[in-house]
Amino acid sequence: MKAPRMFGVAIDWVESRTGAVAFIAPLLTHHVPRNAKWWYVFGSATLMFFTIQIVTGVCLATLYAPSAAEAWESLRYIDQQVPFGWMLRALHGWSSNAMVVMMAIHMLQVFLHASYKFPRELNWVTGVFLLFTVLALAFTGQVMRWDQDAYWGLGIGASIADRVPLIGNQVRGLLLGGPIIGGETLSRFFALHVFVLPGAAIGLVGLHLALIMKNGISEMPKPGATVEPATYRAEYEQRMEKDGVPFYPDAAQRDMVFCGACLVLLVVLAAVYGPFGPGGQPDPTLIDTNPRPDYPFLWIFGAVSLLPPASETAVMLVAPLVGVLVLVAVPFLANAGERAPSRRPGMVLVAALAVMAVAALTWEGKTSPWSPVMDGWSALPTPSHFLTGRTPLEVQGANVFQFAQCRNCHSLNGLGGERGPALDAIATRMTADQLMRQIQQGDGNMPAFGRNLDSAQMTALVSFLTTLRPEFEAPAVIPGAQLPLPVRQMPGEVATPVAAGTQ
Amino acid sequence: MFRFGAALLGVGGAIAAVPILGTLLAPARRQASAWVSLGSAEAFPPGQTRFATFLNPIRQPTDGDAAKTACWVRCISPGKYQVFAVNCAHLGCPVRWFAQSRLFMCPCHGGAYYEDGSRAAGPPPRGLFEYPWKIDGGNLLIEAGHLPGLEQST
Amino acid sequence: MNALRLLRAASLPSLCGALLSSAGACDRLPGRPESAQVAQEGSPEWTAHVFNTSCRGCHAQGSEGAAVPLMDNAYWRAATDEQVTQAVLHGQGVLMPAFGPTVGGPFTPSQASALTRGMRALWGGGAVRSPEMSGTVVAGNATNGKAIFDVACAACHGANGSSGSVTDPMYLRLVSDQGLWTAVVAGRRALGSPAWNEPMPGRPNGLTTTEVADVVAYLSSERPRSMSEMQP
Repeated sequence: MKAPRMFGVAIDWVESRTGAVAFIAPLLTHHVPRNAKWWYVFGSATLMFFTIQIVTGVCLATLYAPSAAEAWESLRYIDQQVPFGWMLRALHGWSSNAMVVMMAIHMLQVFLHASYKFPRELNWVTGVFLLFTVLALAFTGQVMRWDQDAYWGLGIGASIADRVPLIGNQVRGLLLGGPIIGGETLSRFFALHVFVLPGAAIGLVGLHLALIMKNGISEMPKPGATVEPATYRAEYEQRMEKDGVPFYPDAAQRDMVFCGACLVLLVVLAAVYGPFGPGGQPDPTLIDTNPRPDYPFLWIFGAVSLLPPASETAVMLVAPLVGVLVLVAVPFLANAGERAPSRRPGMVLVAALAVMAVAALTWEGKTSPWSPVMDGWSALPTPSHFLTGRTPLEVQGANVFQFAQCRNCHSLNGLGGERGPALDAIATRMTADQLMRQIQQGDGNMPAFGRNLDSAQMTALVSFLTTLRPEFEAPAVIPGAQLPLPVRQMPGEVATPVAAGTQ
Repeated sequence: MFRFGAALLGVGGAIAAVPILGTLLAPARRQASAWVSLGSAEAFPPGQTRFATFLNPIRQPTDGDAAKTACWVRCISPGKYQVFAVNCAHLGCPVRWFAQSRLFMCPCHGGAYYEDGSRAAGPPPRGLFEYPWKIDGGNLLIEAGHLPGLEQST
Repeated sequence: MNALRLLRAASLPSLCGALLSSAGACDRLPGRPESAQVAQEGSPEWTAHVFNTSCRGCHAQGSEGAAVPLMDNAYWRAATDEQVTQAVLHGQGVLMPAFGPTVGGPFTPSQASALTRGMRALWGGGAVRSPEMSGTVVAGNATNGKAIFDVACAACHGANGSSGSVTDPMYLRLVSDQGLWTAVVAGRRALGSPAWNEPMPGRPNGLTTTEVADVVAYLSSERPRSMSEMQP
């Protein structure tokens, strides 16, 4: 028997018992719109990254010790000792970020082209659930690293849960698996990360794909070609019959090229930049730490930080629910009519605003200007040009400035905390008296230092601060003040004749 | 026949649900704490605020390093203390003490507290959480356990 | 044709798989995490790290940093190791905080002395300590000190001096006798202050040890003892 014939016989044998060909063939040959070109590759790329997550995730589960006492050490073992272990972790980490990005692009494309309209409302809804499942996977994945960021990230989650009215404590207990962040917390998140959430994701992906088969791939939107629920399905099928192309190979080849390129990029990223973490040991007594969430959550971290304190609890608890509801409601609010972005400028604006908001909040979360620079006072030297030409008292004032940890929240020359304003030119905005009052009494976002600095320290500090102004820029004055205030002349400056004239 | 099957499944399911829901929901009601020693009270000199660590009295065998807990002990005068949880009242990040400015600062969102634990600046809705303390046989004891939070402080 | 394109597309993943496995040099890829090396206490790396996070804010180099620069060798000429270690552990004057265990600070005594030795090795380069400048304050005569101050220092540092007064009571309350001593002995060339043995008005060869002691004694006597003394 020749090889091809043997192959054919084997196929027939399997087919007669499983019906596999009858099931798969339509998947490959179903007609898709001819104009569905490169816009449509992002969903496939998301699916590819998800497949990579499953494969690398299963491999990692064979090496990882899901015990609070050993998890961190086992990750270091995977990184250092297991052959290719670090690469496996790098692929899993980078692929997780890539999956979130691809999913966001896919969702944005579907939103801009209004592909969610009749009859694809449930495609969108399953997509929304997939979005939240994948974000939950990303968050629980960060917990698997079981380092300082994971520990304190859980602490933030626990604090938010604790703000639920009446049952906050119970919610927190359920989240952490106990009254503290400990062994049962990791076990709980491990079960979520490797059983519950991947199971949910696989089910939802299957549903999502089944719905795509049922409803067909949407065409590129054309201005004027509106969706009419009464006639859409029949017309779509007619157009596919007449003008469609088989999914395989016409559309599949584009998916393969794009996915291949993504895969190469993924491998390069993993090989060059390596795995994420683990960061410091998960020991809560090592408090010299600066907890930050992973990239997909930096925007939430940013948003939480920028909320006015009064609205914080309400927003943190209600906003996620509103977000889910709004996203789920999208196809039901407008499921017919125009699909072209040019005929839906409002929706384009919504998408643009959403992208910009997430990007801006991510940037804020990354730079987190609201966080004090904890070692700013002891690590960032006072710049030369704020010391040259100063009196001994003013130089001591600069010492007080560092000593009293002012630098942790206030920057000089671009270095230091950004919690409070930069002080490079503070003397142009505040007089010595105003500075003294501000330092002694503080205000909403500045602690009062009156009890912590004695009069000599305060005098030196204020005299230093009154020298902080660009050359030749006038110092602050109180409007309407009768007498010229004593003004400290900077080296190179000439006394202004006005000051002499008013004497 | 159908009704009997449904009833049988119902009864069996209800019984099986007890251990399933029981284990899943058990953490919702365990909010314990117990007295734990921070060592000799003399290790905390008057006028200073010191870092102290202890093993959580309600730890589980698998907690590992996570059972270690930190706190700040302020000795106001001999025999008079304040013991603060290390967790910021805003979102639980670990606050650090700065002896020069006499402030606790949080690395996450810039919350700051005075040496007596009261809120000085930033987003925290209240002052630092305090543990109840007592002196027993020359040792400083605190009542600690579950993670402090707005609903149930310490 | 399609099949050929398909083959090319499919060959991409296998190509990179081959690249990966042929790179048996996986160990040498840039992404491989370094095994965490903890710098040994007292090593130059350890010293630089500790200095950069805990000291540099005030003690930098040249005209940078408001307190005495430790990255220049001027100070190391004037200070003994014991003196530096004590300052690290217990603080110095008003504005140098203690970093030792008695205040719950981060450094043990052995770390403090390792830090001192490490800093001297890094920045004390070639600095031979002036034997007569033993590092700690020598008692002097305030009356003589005033006379010397009026001649050698007052032009720049007197009440109306061009560089600002050092007899300002607020200044003197912030700087200890040891701080004054270090300021005179080490100087701060980058900010225009000469060291003790450099030319000063009326003193082409600088000051002698006794004269430095007298000047410090004079400035010390000018320091107000209480707040009420500071009222004009």
